[in-house]
Amino acid sequence: MIPSDHFTRFYNEVFKFLEDQGEEHLEAYWLEISKNQEKHTLELFKEKGLKGMYEYWDHIRIEENCDMDLKLDDEKLELRMNVCPSLSKVLDNDAEPMKRYCDHCAGWIGPLIDKVDHHLVYDVIDRNKPQCVVKIFKDKEKAIEEEKNAKLLMKWPGKK
Amino acid sequence: MNKNNLDQKLRYNDAGNVHMDFHGATNTTIEFIINKYGIDTMNDIFKKVGNDVYKDIKDHIKKGNIKMLAKHWQHFFDRENADYNISINDEEIILTVNRCTAYEHVRKLVGNVSPNFCDQTIKTNEALAENTPYEIKTEILGEAACRQTIRKRV
Repeated sequence: MIPSDHFTRFYNEVFKFLEDQGEEHLEAYWLEISKNQEKHTLELFKEKGLKGMYEYWDHIRIEENCDMDLKLDDEKLELRMNVCPSLSKVLDNDAEPMKRYCDHCAGWIGPLIDKVDHHLVYDVIDRNKPQCVVKIFKDKEKAIEEEKNAKLLMKWPGKK
Repeated sequence: MNKNNLDQKLRYNDAGNVHMDFHGATNTTIEFIINKYGIDTMNDIFKKVGNDVYKDIKDHIKKGNIKMLAKHWQHFFDRENADYNISINDEEIILTVNRCTAYEHVRKLVGNVSPNFCDQTIKTNEALAENTPYEIKTEILGEAACRQTIRKRV
């Protein structure tokens, strides 16, 4: 068994293989993971919108031992990751970290948020630091406006 | 179960909550990679996990310290609340997993577990032992059950 604690280091090995095959291979995998995550999230997000997203990430915050602040208002959900356990483990690793490890997160979350007609702004800030800011808006124009403030804005399959 | 009181610290010594759903993502990944690239590619990735991610444990095995692997097994099977027995001595370690909670969690999540789900154990173990004086044999005893044995090569 690869312990669930070490999944992200296994994930990192998968990403390195797929990156060598080409960008479309990585994107196909992110979409597969996104489809897998739909089982836990799609109905919740469709039914409860931002509140459902808050519930999901609040559960993740606890279960994945994240140092993360969540803020919900009528217009948006803001997720401020202060110390990301996933990238932290990949950096604390005897195997080489994939340089774009952070990209997978927008890679699976983006298509899911698109499906429930909300608008994701994913600022990774710096791929070498385990922190990011994710904002999910109801209103597309507000998301486009927020994108201007991002330091390192992530894209995903379907948003180039 | 013999307790392993080895004093050395594990390279990856996780604490806190356990996110069992990651095993579901492992199952999805195994199916995705095998369907798209074939089983040899999947096995090569597991081999990298054994050789590179677990380099520290492998280095210990090379030097004859197999108890670090026992410590690793105990730490993570305890964290995942698996039902297992372990017998430890200087020459041989036998880990018997009676109920693998990773396998059971995936079955609960998705219904059918990939027939290659246990390859993560078999192939990672093989890579850990490759080019060392030891071999690791993984026998599947049934659904969610296996025996993993590390001993000196004949």
